[in-house]
Amino acid sequence: MKITFKLNGENVSIEVESYKRLIDMLREDFELTGTKEGCSIGECGACTVLMDGKAVNSCLVLAAQIDGAEILTIEGVNQGNNLSDLQRNFLTHGAVQCGFCTPGMILSSLALLNENPNPTVEEIEESIAGNLCRCTGYKQIIEAVKATAEMSNQKLRNQSA
Amino acid sequence: MIPELKILRPEKLIDLLDLIAPADGATRILAGGTDIIPGFHINSKRFSSIRKLVETVKIPEMHEIKEEDDSVIIGSSVTFSELINSELINTYFPLLVKAVSKIGSVQIRNRATIAGNFVNNAPCADSVPPLLVYNAEVEIANKNSTRKVLLNDFLEKPYKTQLKDSECVVRIILKKIDKTFTGDFYKLGRRRGVAISRITLAVILKKENNIIKDIRIASGAVTPIGMRFTELENDLIGKEITPELLVSSSQKLGKNVLDVTGLRWSSVYKVPVIQRTFYNLLENICLD
Ligand code: FES
Ligand code: FES
Repeated sequence: MKITFKLNGENVSIEVESYKRLIDMLREDFELTGTKEGCSIGECGACTVLMDGKAVNSCLVLAAQIDGAEILTIEGVNQGNNLSDLQRNFLTHGAVQCGFCTPGMILSSLALLNENPNPTVEEIEESIAGNLCRCTGYKQIIEAVKATAEMSNQKLRNQSA
Repeated sequence: MIPELKILRPEKLIDLLDLIAPADGATRILAGGTDIIPGFHINSKRFSSIRKLVETVKIPEMHEIKEEDDSVIIGSSVTFSELINSELINTYFPLLVKAVSKIGSVQIRNRATIAGNFVNNAPCADSVPPLLVYNAEVEIANKNSTRKVLLNDFLEKPYKTQLKDSECVVRIILKKIDKTFTGDFYKLGRRRGVAISRITLAVILKKENNIIKDIRIASGAVTPIGMRFTELENDLIGKEITPELLVSSSQKLGKNVLDVTGLRWSSVYKVPVIQRTFYNLLENICLD
């Protein structure tokens, strides 16, 4: 069936098979392989993308269900040729080791920061409770998100000063 | 594997009801999909006959939460995140918020819907115990008529409800409860995020001068389906709240659970936990 949606800011239309999940379409039809598949059943969060600004597991959504929606994948998070502050902070805080969970972690925390620019540690933990990481121990990830919130608040203060 | 499917997205309830009217066994309503889609993927038998999915996403009345004089109406496809963010639900039905906040993860709560949770009627559907203590009513429609039934009657046995193939749950109706009720919800799972519940309990209570005026108790996960304990409730109404009463009623609840589940390998673990949990819940509520 034919669907039309916004992908990383661009309007796209595609004829997609009904049995494809959002993750299959992203990886196979759009060759956006930054979205990872870990468990396929909604437990690991490696496949997280934003749908209309909200974090969803792309393994639990059929491609047909996103007709008319706006999808953001990890490929759309950077700003032009530059990494976003969130991405950079993941690097500087050692929040990336093997990297498999990273796209999902970034999108879950991005959804949080968009809704809540001053999250508490507990709110950060809740926002990534559906994202498993086998490497980092989470602490670095939480720090990276916290640092990003502080940076953007600092920028706002500088602007208004 | 996900089969070759036809996916339809009607914009009006009546069109949805037309689509499911043939009741051919191959058509299923898709309200979120966080059970059905992984279910297909792991070749679950529960979903193997499905060839057509009818999505509820475009039907406005299935997505709204609205207040009426003495009740709050929740559209059947309201997501858990929407419930958590609703001021109305937070004000009148805090146990429902507490229960659904613990379901899955943010990603799942953004997709999973309230009726999707109980129409599947998995024993571990966490929204069920709070809905049961709030005496939730379910409004069901088919092409020709609409009926209302108590959720308690709607849920028949594990993975089975009263819902016919030609029917759709449109709304959930919760009567506002008297402000003097206090209550709590407890969930035990194996990890904090994305854990399937092992035990859930919801209790609300109304007391006057230390006498129980009304109490409603419901469990999930540990019993084959979410259920109320009306006999124990009736037994407790009119009693004075004393430490002994808390102990004896916790023992009774444990026994009631054993009566429904029969003795299982896990009973030696679960029964003491239920008793202790119920005791703690009661103690907290009664101290309020
Ligand atoms: S692959 Fe989607 S949650 Fe694990
Ligand atoms: S960095 Fe390896 S899983 Fe998170």
